Amino acid sequence: MNAIQIKMREVAGQLLSLGEVDRVIGWEKGRFAHQSPPAFITDETKVERLIWDEYCLTGTAKYLLDDPYRAGKTGLFARGCDARAINRLIQDGQVKRENIVIIGICCTGMSDSVSRQMAAKCCDCTHPTPVVYDLMIGEPVKPVAKPERFKAVAELEQKAAQEKSEYWTRQFAKCIRCYACRNICPACNCRECFADQYRVGWLGKQHHTAENQVFGLTRAYHIADRCIECGECARVCPVGIPLMELNRKLIKDIQQLFGDYHAGVDSETAPPLGRYSLDDMEEFM
Amino acid sequence: MALMTEANWEPKVLAFCCNWCSYSGADLVGLNRMKYPENVRIVRVPCSARVNPQFIIRAFQRGADGVLVAGCHPGDCHYSTGNYYTRRRFLVMKRLLEFIGIESQRFQARWISGAEAVKFRDTVTKLCEDIKALGPQRKLRDQK
Amino acid sequence: MRRIGVFICHCGSNIAATVDCAKVAEAARGFPGVVYSADYKYMCSEPGQEFIKAAIAQEDLNAIVVASCTPRMHELTFRKTLANGGLNPYLFEMANLREQCSWVHTDKEKATVKAIDLVKMAAAKANKNEELTSSTMPVHKKALVIGAGIAGMQAALDIADAGHQVVLVEREPTIGGKMPMLDKTFPTMDCSACISTPKMVEVAQHPNIELLAYAEVTEVKGFIGSFTVQIRQKAKYVDHDKCTGCGLCETKCPSKVPNEYDLGLGQRACIYKPFAQAVPNKPVIDPLHCRKLVDNKCGLCAKVCPTGAVNYQDAERLFTDTFGAIVMATGYDLYPWEEIYGEYGYGRFPDVITGLQFERMVNASGPTGGKLKRPSDGQEPKSVVFIKCVGSREPAKAKGYCSRACCMYTAKHAHQVLDKIPDAAVYVFYMDVRAAGKAYDEFYEATLKDGAVYLRGRVSKIYQEGSKLIVKGEDSLLGRPVQVTADLVVLATAMIPSQGSRELAQTVGFLPDLDGWYQEAHPKLRPVETPTAGVFLAGACQGPKDIPDTVAQAGAAAAKVCGLLSKSQLETNPMTARSNPAICSGCGLCVAVCPYKAIQLISLADRDRYGKRINRTVADVNHGLCQGCGACTVTCRSGAIDLQGFKNNQILEEVDALWR
Repeated sequence: MNAIQIKMREVAGQLLSLGEVDRVIGWEKGRFAHQSPPAFITDETKVERLIWDEYCLTGTAKYLLDDPYRAGKTGLFARGCDARAINRLIQDGQVKRENIVIIGICCTGMSDSVSRQMAAKCCDCTHPTPVVYDLMIGEPVKPVAKPERFKAVAELEQKAAQEKSEYWTRQFAKCIRCYACRNICPACNCRECFADQYRVGWLGKQHHTAENQVFGLTRAYHIADRCIECGECARVCPVGIPLMELNRKLIKDIQQLFGDYHAGVDSETAPPLGRYSLDDMEEFM
Repeated sequence: MALMTEANWEPKVLAFCCNWCSYSGADLVGLNRMKYPENVRIVRVPCSARVNPQFIIRAFQRGADGVLVAGCHPGDCHYSTGNYYTRRRFLVMKRLLEFIGIESQRFQARWISGAEAVKFRDTVTKLCEDIKALGPQRKLRDQK
Repeated sequence: MRRIGVFICHCGSNIAATVDCAKVAEAARGFPGVVYSADYKYMCSEPGQEFIKAAIAQEDLNAIVVASCTPRMHELTFRKTLANGGLNPYLFEMANLREQCSWVHTDKEKATVKAIDLVKMAAAKANKNEELTSSTMPVHKKALVIGAGIAGMQAALDIADAGHQVVLVEREPTIGGKMPMLDKTFPTMDCSACISTPKMVEVAQHPNIELLAYAEVTEVKGFIGSFTVQIRQKAKYVDHDKCTGCGLCETKCPSKVPNEYDLGLGQRACIYKPFAQAVPNKPVIDPLHCRKLVDNKCGLCAKVCPTGAVNYQDAERLFTDTFGAIVMATGYDLYPWEEIYGEYGYGRFPDVITGLQFERMVNASGPTGGKLKRPSDGQEPKSVVFIKCVGSREPAKAKGYCSRACCMYTAKHAHQVLDKIPDAAVYVFYMDVRAAGKAYDEFYEATLKDGAVYLRGRVSKIYQEGSKLIVKGEDSLLGRPVQVTADLVVLATAMIPSQGSRELAQTVGFLPDLDGWYQEAHPKLRPVETPTAGVFLAGACQGPKDIPDTVAQAGAAAAKVCGLLSKSQLETNPMTARSNPAICSGCGLCVAVCPYKAIQLISLADRDRYGKRINRTVADVNHGLCQGCGACTVTCRSGAIDLQGFKNNQILEEVDALWR
């Protein structure tokens, strides 16, 4: 049994038995060997369910929103991406820091359930060590810049308008509008998504490429300056739309235009589109 | 009305103009009896900061051949700071639209004051010319 | 279901010559919700308006579109028509067929196609329009004036004379500001204190003015008509109700520190009045230097005070009051030239002084009794150099703007030197002489006749040689370097916004400009208003000014305040943002972008999805503060916050209609 998993069970058992939390959220072994779905444990005698293996892909933070007003405290196992997701939720006013005990795990990356290679979202991870935590398991790893994660975006930018359009039309033709990308996303924490507001008319109900694209573009724009790059949207997309390319396009531009900004690294710095500088680039003269 | 065909195609350009500067700039074009192409349709908004980038996406989806967002010059916003947010939002949105294949000429943002009738006329004239050269906008469209 | 009536105006031939109005009216009948349409020669005329009213009644219309000129011209006219016809005035839309169609196009066929589109958009929006109602809010008939220099005093007096209550707040122990520090005022050379100190007394004695000196505004909540303001009065350590102002304590106090009022040229006691004619004419204790307060030693002032007014246990006091209007009159400070002007010695040479220090020195009630003396050795200066634009008109180094008063006061100083020391030599280094004002240029010319030597050029270096100062510069008119040996150098330093004015603006709820001056709502047409309704500007806080301009602006601000306070209620604009708490997730992104601080997060009692009672955070818009810009709506991803009259679905409808 690996050291992290032993420590996880030990910490979870302690927190539950001391009453510091009344549930923990981590991962457990599911039906398949190559999947480790989230585990919700309220009983200290059940901490043996917790596991840590190469398939702990699912983000834990968003599950806090399933019952955001529950009375007790939650012990949340958080890798780098989960910690940024927690900051996202704190900054967006969705959860309170004092209601969570963050058990940080220094993560070295997970494996894709199909290819068994390092998962795409982990290849591009810049903050493997949690940026916020109460307890920490494992040896901290420094943040890595990973400029190569923008490579696909840069390549696509070079293409002709027609090619870009064809590429994205092809991608969104596949979309089945299951909204899994939205549901998994910690930045998508609206009480009521624009996509469900038929009376306002942001989006039609028809399922065709144009509406799919409008949904995809709007989703990307809505999280533009708040995306924490966990890569969950692209991971859960059942038809394989490269959603992180849209997100990364926005992140890349926002960094170039308004300066270095990494959403969710702290919970205080306001997202760039919600503020301005008098010295902002001027190209609308 | 006659069915629009490829041969007699005329672009439709949607312009969001803030009430205090650009809309009155557009009015001034009229007061001075200056001319510009008939392709422009103006939507009046209180401030360029009221223009949700989703409106732009919607316009292209429905069939706009070009979209203009016009507001007061930075520092002149009737509401003090609105256009500074506009600037950030559309710097980002313009690049996103280009990324999915909308030609850069089709979406413009411009600062046009209430006195800049000439700038309004020149901006929309150039926009219409550019779009006529590009032809009809078919990306993001509901019906292809 | 809307029953829309569409009215196409010919505007004589202004529209009809280029747009086929009958055809537009006919096309309009096919638009969703439109049940009636007509065209008419002049919609805005009396018969035109009657025509609309009749149609409302006959056709049972409940929304109106008028296609005519720009809404900036007649939107209000037609809203009134609707109201007179029994409809809510906001069930109205205009299509701009004149300024944005017939006048800018020549091809009638194409212009008609465009006109049909414009009407279609207006009808689509009208189809989604909702009844909006203005509410009223009370006006508290009391004004707050912040800053009691000449601007604040004048504004307070003018408002008070009109019969309104005024609270005048001043952070210094005395009111008066900079003006009583000055010796004489250009161009008339009347004694500054002689015209400003009576104003101070008038302020103190006015039955409608409540004076709070030594106090600062710490918090402003609310909006036009009802600002709730918290004012903190600093501890004075002297009970002004008991104190008679005899001044015995001041003479007995053993601790002396440089007097701020004399800009360090003189000294004052630690229990002090800033100057003899101070108002209130009673002392305060300087808590930073008083031996009793710092070391718990001494206590002499309490012993000598015949009325027992000294109270070392005194504490600050908080006042809260509600005001209908606020006047900002925070004035200016002088540019800290010592920080960047190395070429002038960084303030190391005692005989390089500022214009304001010169004023104190030349003032009969100042530290030298009006005698011009070198601060270093007390000798009378025989050669005086004046340098203008120190910090002004130097965008690369300091400030880009012109400080406006320096040309004139330097001319006055030069005149005063030549007047007091007949054999003195006076040199003025200048960039331009800007003497635009009544009798200003004449004054400058007279100074030249007095014998002041004006040298056009910048000073590049000042250094000390023995007891003299060597001033090196360039005479750019002759194109050669000049060197002057001076006994005294006087710098005309730039005016800058007074210290703390930026923070105060944030407290009150508006933004200063890039230089920190308070931004007027419109540079030409609303020069004494701020973008925040109910907050007005007087004097140099808005930008550098001399005394006449300051007094004039203070009067203008007072007139605006009186106009506001003459009403007992204000009608609110209903086209403001609304937050829908059912959808709002309380992320607060809208709060940050609001320029009027109109949005705040509040706690809402609700039930969660499991039926449990909870308190949830949601955004709440104050309709008195909201000006209806809509910046917040775009930050709200779920559209929980929306702008009445320009709602998301209304604008989307307009867009959709164009391709329907």
